[in-house]
Amino acid sequence: MPWGFLAVLVTLSAINAIAVAFGTDMDGSKAFIATAEDQQSLVGFAGNAMMIAGLFGAIAVAREYGHGTVVPTFLAEPRRYRAVSAQFTAVLVGGGVLGFAGAALTVAAVALSLPATEFGFLMTAGGVAQVLAAAAFAGATGALLGAGIGAVVRNTGGAVAGAVVVLVIAPPLVVQLASEAASWIPNTLNTVVSGITTEVSVVAAIVALAAWAIVPAAIGLVAVQRRDVV
Amino acid sequence: MRPEHGPTRPSHQLQIDHVTKRYGAATVVDDLSFTVEPGRVTGFLGPNGAGKSTTMKILLDLASADGGAATIGGRRYRELVDPVRTVGVLVEANAFHPGRSGRNHLRVVADAAGVPSGRVEDLLGLVGLADAADRRVGAYSLGMRQRLGLAAALLGDPPVLVLDEPGNGLDPQGIRELRELLRSRTANGDTVFVSSHLLAEVEHLADDVIVINRGKLVASGPLSDLQETASLVRTGSPDTLRTVLESAGGVVEIHGLNALVVRGLPIDEVGEHAHHAGVVLHELSPHAGSLEELFLDWTSGDSRHDAGTPEREVVTL
Repeated sequence: MPWGFLAVLVTLSAINAIAVAFGTDMDGSKAFIATAEDQQSLVGFAGNAMMIAGLFGAIAVAREYGHGTVVPTFLAEPRRYRAVSAQFTAVLVGGGVLGFAGAALTVAAVALSLPATEFGFLMTAGGVAQVLAAAAFAGATGALLGAGIGAVVRNTGGAVAGAVVVLVIAPPLVVQLASEAASWIPNTLNTVVSGITTEVSVVAAIVALAAWAIVPAAIGLVAVQRRDVV
Repeated sequence: MRPEHGPTRPSHQLQIDHVTKRYGAATVVDDLSFTVEPGRVTGFLGPNGAGKSTTMKILLDLASADGGAATIGGRRYRELVDPVRTVGVLVEANAFHPGRSGRNHLRVVADAAGVPSGRVEDLLGLVGLADAADRRVGAYSLGMRQRLGLAAALLGDPPVLVLDEPGNGLDPQGIRELRELLRSRTANGDTVFVSSHLLAEVEHLADDVIVINRGKLVASGPLSDLQETASLVRTGSPDTLRTVLESAGGVVEIHGLNALVVRGLPIDEVGEHAHHAGVVLHELSPHAGSLEELFLDWTSGDSRHDAGTPEREVVTL
């Protein structure tokens, strides 16, 4: 599984590199990489990180039930909240690493492809650090969110579908129903934390993203405590 | 699977105390109570769907009971201080990640349980998987998976073994090795609780048996005593005697033209009922039935076992 996710990250960074080297705006210019802000927006990886890590978390937890390997886990540690907390922590760290790696690859790919254009690498060190940190945070929260869904659904396909629904399908539908919710959906929050937009404060965005992860994780933890394992 | 010999250690009694488990409207385990004693191999028998696996999962806190309690040495499984070193478990033959090797699987379980990794190599040899240890578990046969599951159960060298159908997929050599292994554990005073539908295997292995049907206990006790609870009767009036004995509460099978096998009544009562009915007996002797005969008697779907009729008396010795 880790190699599959790494391949996705490499592919996404390669797409970015190709876009920088060969892509143009509608008017034929390369305005999308003309300023430091444009470049920070381009390499902002937090949204992708949350989605990818969400799938990672959902698969990592749900397949423990699919393979039955959760049985020896709970036999070794029958206080399930401890076993599940350890699993969620491991997934959270894995998601953070995935997010950071994805952002780092993207930044590197863009930096390496910029010499093929008339523009240089304009982002500040602070900007790069913010993008990397935001992606790591988004990956961690996404993985925890996916893990919570995986613990509730306990079926790999269903957990993946659940993560897609929560992260991709449901937010725009909610915004359609309540436009004021637009500032609080994961994609918007991730752009805030990445320093790309300013719909809400960075602190508020971090808290809201954490809530997006903690709520399903808590539901998953309670479900595992209450339900039969097999 | 060579027998392991360890030092004498504390014994643990397993206690199932009025356990009930329901799935929706279906009662899978129904007010079930029995005890599994240390130093003996206890076979846990019942037809498919009788509730054996569910009972074991409740004992291991993998499933919750709707009523009653299941304890190991007086404690719930989740209350055990060091569960892997107290109870060795085989409940899911396929609880492996198919991409991991057998050795890697055991190392993961050993790490989680704080068992030294050197024990993994010992157990791979013990269960006869040393040569296949680096192959993917997904490529293992069922018998090899069972051996791997047994190795995982023995990782903590526990004084209690709870094994759900451990003989599934094992070849005759493997069955014999399993038997020797379990015998060696009980010789140390360990508690061995084994469910199986392979009656011949249990007949060779078990000291005690517990039989359940439709979630209820139908028989329990030393296998040798249970096998001698029947009487063989030869008479010239088998139909008359059958009617008499069945009305007295016995379970009667016709064997041949003039022979009956009677269960559920002491042998002296069989003679007295025959005498009172004026039936001449040509033979009245204890009958040691095979486990298969007994099992079919205990679990057959005759009217005496059906819900709605007076409850069948539990055969307990």
